[in-house]
Amino acid sequence: MATREVISTGNELSAMAGVDAGCTFFGGYPLTPSSEVMHVISDLLPKVGGACIQMEDEIGAICAVIGAGMAGSRTMTGTSGPGMSLKAENLGLAQMAEVPLVCVNVMRGGPSTGLPTRVSQGDIKQSSNPSHGDYRSITLCAGNLAECYTETVRAFNLADRFMQPVIVLLDETIGHMHGKADIPTVEDIKAGIVPRKKFDGPADEYFPYECGPTEPATLNPMFEGYRYHFTGLHHDRRGFPTEEIETCRKLIQRLEDKVMAHQDEIELNEEFMCDDLTGEDGEVLIIAYGSVSLAAKEAIRHLRADGIKAGLFRPITIWPSPAQRIAELTGKIKNVLCVELNIRQFTEEVERASSRLDIEGLYKVNGRAISPNEIVSKVKEVF
Amino acid sequence: MAFNYDKYLRLEKMPTLWCWGCGDGVILKSFIRAVDKLGISQDDMCVVSGIGCSGRFSSYVDFNTVHTTHGRTVAYATGIKLANPDKHVVCVAGDGDALAIGGNHTIHGCRRNIDITFIVINNFIYGLTNSQTSPTTPQGMWTVTQKAGNIDPTFDACELAIASGASFVGRETVNSPKKMEKLIIQAIEHKGFSFVELNSNCHINLGRKNKMASAMANLDWIDDITVSKRKYDAMTEEEQLNLLPLGILKQDTVVREYCDMYQDIIDAHQGKRGKVTQDDFVKKI
Amino acid sequence: MAAMVAPENTPVWVDTARCKACDICVDACPAGVLSMQAEPTSTLGAMITVVAPDSCIGCNECELVCPDFAIYVAEKKEFKFAKLTDDSKARQEAITNNGYRLPADYK
Repeated sequence: MATREVISTGNELSAMAGVDAGCTFFGGYPLTPSSEVMHVISDLLPKVGGACIQMEDEIGAICAVIGAGMAGSRTMTGTSGPGMSLKAENLGLAQMAEVPLVCVNVMRGGPSTGLPTRVSQGDIKQSSNPSHGDYRSITLCAGNLAECYTETVRAFNLADRFMQPVIVLLDETIGHMHGKADIPTVEDIKAGIVPRKKFDGPADEYFPYECGPTEPATLNPMFEGYRYHFTGLHHDRRGFPTEEIETCRKLIQRLEDKVMAHQDEIELNEEFMCDDLTGEDGEVLIIAYGSVSLAAKEAIRHLRADGIKAGLFRPITIWPSPAQRIAELTGKIKNVLCVELNIRQFTEEVERASSRLDIEGLYKVNGRAISPNEIVSKVKEVF
Repeated sequence: MAFNYDKYLRLEKMPTLWCWGCGDGVILKSFIRAVDKLGISQDDMCVVSGIGCSGRFSSYVDFNTVHTTHGRTVAYATGIKLANPDKHVVCVAGDGDALAIGGNHTIHGCRRNIDITFIVINNFIYGLTNSQTSPTTPQGMWTVTQKAGNIDPTFDACELAIASGASFVGRETVNSPKKMEKLIIQAIEHKGFSFVELNSNCHINLGRKNKMASAMANLDWIDDITVSKRKYDAMTEEEQLNLLPLGILKQDTVVREYCDMYQDIIDAHQGKRGKVTQDDFVKKI
Repeated sequence: MAAMVAPENTPVWVDTARCKACDICVDACPAGVLSMQAEPTSTLGAMITVVAPDSCIGCNECELVCPDFAIYVAEKKEFKFAKLTDDSKARQEAITNNGYRLPADYK
């Protein structure tokens, strides 16, 4: 695939990706360190006849985005931790009503107001279940500048495929990182757009929420002759509220199964220098994602130069987690080190997937990056 | 004379779940007659309702319909409308939904003057959840969260809307279905944010413990506390204190509508005009 | 206008499947045309009935105030409506004062 070289920041690349992927509506609210996504897209969208609106608060932003998504647009918002907390209730409605949207979260120090201008990866757990109730989050995490672009594009296609919100995690380091990125051409992106399914039969034969047990709803855009109902209540095949026992059970189970039965379409990992890890003594598996993975790769080069066979497993799709692959790798490699800018948030998922409680960890929650040297030292200390 | 509402109803959802005598049904009928008179195609109309008894409004009408989270109708509608500026978007919410949890979105919908019609069904209580105090429940009335008497002051929703910048503001009551119909027609025809307060009776929740247990008694009370704007304007402040004026309270056809102004932004970015500057606005602050 | 054709020679008719017996139409009628009557199988144990169709003046108040799409009035060209008489007014008063039910012995 041809690529083009751009020099930009993570936030700007994410905004560009949205527009290139067919986004025509953005609703946002200023929140450090994500605001630049809105600043940039507020210029890009009207150029292509789309609309960007700064709403009165984070909740208004996600609501406007969901509304436009219900009406049929590809929509996007950008925020950080505190904004995700505010958006939680309505993200739940989007999950329940099966409305596609892309929500970019540029993670900063938390909890609460935390460290607005400094990095963390503290929203990993939150992303798996930002809202109450049962459903499956799809969460992607960009690990370098180019992925701020490509993962945002992938998020739009996944959102339309699975008919639900997709969270794209950047962290403040990557969001504000300014550098070179090789990204696909706009032509290739446009050619790769897979829009949501539509029903084109007679309106009286259209049942938006009637579908197979592992399939998403088929929601036609508004104003085109197919009238139905959106609600956050449990609903029947036309979208009307119901409390009927089997209908409710099947609906919630389908929200789970529509994602979990198709993990192969969602999972994406990078295995860096793992090819020669065979399970011998002394091998080290590092698990890291986001900006930390950049330091981890550098650390691995150092370790290898020092004679230690180390490799990186990097989940790009964070949720649903690549549990099976983690189980395979941790099943053969004894020394496993999770490195994250939070306290054990993905580590606990690694423990669950691996059934191991001896996973080592390097954690930092003071808003500063983890350096390659810190990772090298930790590996040498614990293994 | 015999209006056939069935065309606009989702008949499989009838009868409504509203209590016997609830004004919400009268408002629903007035709304349907208004849309019919305006000749709006069902496909071109989107009705967005909130949480509460009035929230069920959207499931009864055969339009594009949305039932949002509590207090967020105007925010959802803003997205629907801005992405589809040539379609009709009508919000329906209760006094709690629109003025308590949704207060901020109500204020900013008015401020933006986006072309949405917001019907606020004010029955002076939280009805669906059984009698909690709302921002319009009179002081001294019994509510389930203030059984020793409500001390929370009230505000005038229409005054809030006017102060926030809505360009069309009006109020009617379920005692006058034809007037409600006419006000809704004018509100939808108006290009800009149209705030319409319709006072309704909740004799089951508000009325029962406050000496108006029948629909008729509750409706009489609404009659007692409302008066035409013309009469209201001629009264002293003391006389006005316990009355709400009815009719069109504000109508500004000059101020620009939000989607219209956003088209200027699109044009500016597409090189069809220069940037929007202060010179484009009469109001400089 | 989405119109409904009136049944032949009928000024006002009701849909008992939709009526919730709220009394509002009976209260609104000026001419004693409507009354509730006991109906143990329905909401509140009552149901609307048209007791004096010939007194109907076609004011349409009942249709306007009904919250439940349960009562309809013919058009002027479909029925020759009556004028409001003192008898009608008196019957209305009797109905209103009797809990919106026409007294059993009313003549």
